[in-house]
Amino acid sequence: MQTSQEFSKAEKFWMNFKLYQFWRFIVLNLKILAAVYQSKRS
Amino acid sequence: MAKVVVIGAGFAGHTAALYLGSRIGRKHEVTVISNRDVFGYVPSWVWVGVGHMKPEKTIFKLKPVYDKMNVKFIHAAAKEIHPDAGNQYVLGDEVGTGKEVRLDYDYLVIAPGPLLNFAGMPGLGPENGFTHSICSLPHAIKTRDAYLALCERMKKGEKVKIVIGTGHPAATCQGAAFEYIVNVHKDLVKKGLRDKADILWLSNEPAVGDFGVNGVQIKRNGHLMRSEEFLTSVFNDHGIRYQVKTGVTKVEEGKSHWQNYEGEEGVTEFDFSMLIPQFKGQPFKYIGKDGEDISSKMVNPAGFVLVDGKYGLPYPELAQTPDAWPARYQNPAYKNVFAAGIAFAPPGPISKPFTNKNNLAIAPAPPRTGMVSGMIGRVVALNIADLIEKGEMTHSEPMTEMVAACIASMGDSLWDGNAVTIVMRPVVPDRKTYQNEFGRDLFTSHLEMGVSGAWMKFMLHHTFIWKFKARPGWTIIPE
Ligand SMILES: Cc1cc2nc3c(=O)[nH]c(=O)nc-3n(C[C@H](O)[C@H](O)[C@H](O)COP(=O)(O)OP(=O)(O)OC[C@H]3O[C@@H](n4cnc5c(N)ncnc54)[C@H](O)[C@@H]3O)c2cc1C
Repeated sequence: MQTSQEFSKAEKFWMNFKLYQFWRFIVLNLKILAAVYQSKRS
Repeated sequence: MAKVVVIGAGFAGHTAALYLGSRIGRKHEVTVISNRDVFGYVPSWVWVGVGHMKPEKTIFKLKPVYDKMNVKFIHAAAKEIHPDAGNQYVLGDEVGTGKEVRLDYDYLVIAPGPLLNFAGMPGLGPENGFTHSICSLPHAIKTRDAYLALCERMKKGEKVKIVIGTGHPAATCQGAAFEYIVNVHKDLVKKGLRDKADILWLSNEPAVGDFGVNGVQIKRNGHLMRSEEFLTSVFNDHGIRYQVKTGVTKVEEGKSHWQNYEGEEGVTEFDFSMLIPQFKGQPFKYIGKDGEDISSKMVNPAGFVLVDGKYGLPYPELAQTPDAWPARYQNPAYKNVFAAGIAFAPPGPISKPFTNKNNLAIAPAPPRTGMVSGMIGRVVALNIADLIEKGEMTHSEPMTEMVAACIASMGDSLWDGNAVTIVMRPVVPDRKTYQNEFGRDLFTSHLEMGVSGAWMKFMLHHTFIWKFKARPGWTIIPE
């Protein structure tokens, strides 16, 4: 069942690169808010 | 003056109570009956379970919040519901005195969360068994103590086996177990003990990353990405072994017995194990006007409250019938009774169920996460307010239309912690609206991992506690 799939070095770098992650933090917040307000929230 | 009673003050019941209090609390009587006098912010119990958060940081007293929201609070455990017209009431036992309390209602919201069915699996659970749980605060504290004791053994050089996942073939809430396994890994790395532990993910999911919702699929730069590949990479990266398609069948001291999809039987040994139990509905008595048992009108065999869903469809048909999912969470027999959160009966599973050759059904039950529970609590509250004020309901939100965001913590450190941020639209696939094999909006749905997720998780803890305390602006914070 086990496979050898792993994250690449580049992916791991971006996951921990704080400046990029700060940008992602803003994007993720906006993305979640947009998705929630797009949904019915009737 | 109308009387509204809410049973339970968790994500669903407390949210419903806040909206009811703010909409109709001044003119009508809104009462919450809860067996605990505190609100528990359940997601952070993952961190309690590894000793990274003090238990008292995850709770706050309910009464002061209800006082300001015009909601009455009764600290009692509900036990009986009498829903027949003319004489509708809830009976409970007051916590501390054991005195019987009676609450008459015009509208009832049933939101007591799950009964943790440890009794359904021999040897499971922290009270009468050999495994741990993070599904209640006392359990999470006990788990933390056992985990820290295990760390002491490892510090002395002992090698240990840790097994985390689901403890029943029909368990749900895999997301919480996933967060716990990765937080344990991270904590052991920090303590310099990771090489002393063999960590195994043991789960009833059909695939890694299924989470009981048929996985999450997204399109990024034109490529399809699935949670299965993503989470497999997480496990491989962290050196966590995994075994899915497996239903635990019995637990003994240090041993989990299981069967898999192929019908093979096996035993996995452990020194420490946290396995999520099956969830059932709370075992209330439902009693008619002549004292007869009317449970069959109110709940399914597992004790979950029947609402406006289409029940009994076989999985292939259910998967193609988004309308089968309830939208108003209203009991069909008693129209003034609503259920919210884990308490409502879903029409069936979201993930594909499987029965092996020994007739063992290995099928994750559908999760009703905190966000989903909160959204249902809000819809139910607004509809009850509508019924009282206008005579008709104007709100609906089936899980086939809900967007849910979930941040799966993978270490709480704001410097080198991590989390997977998942956005799913909709929670339950709607193959009519989204005409791809997954029935999801692959553009809005999202899957991402990074330290920003750890910041989000930290922020959510504080934002939600702010919201649940009904502090200024609470209504603009989404559920
Ligand atoms: C460890 C863990 C981590 C999680 N993490 C996340 C996450 O990150 N994001 C997310 O969206 N979801 C998460 N979840 C799921 C989420 O916590 C649940 O979906 C949510 O708590 C369900 O809300 P509820 O109101 O239905 O039930 P609960 O929150 O369980 O609330 C039920 C309430 O009813 C009360 N009650 C019970 N019996 C009675 C009775 N007889 N009389 C009166 N009151 C009663 C209980 O004391 C409780 O206060 C997590 C779950 C766990 C276990």
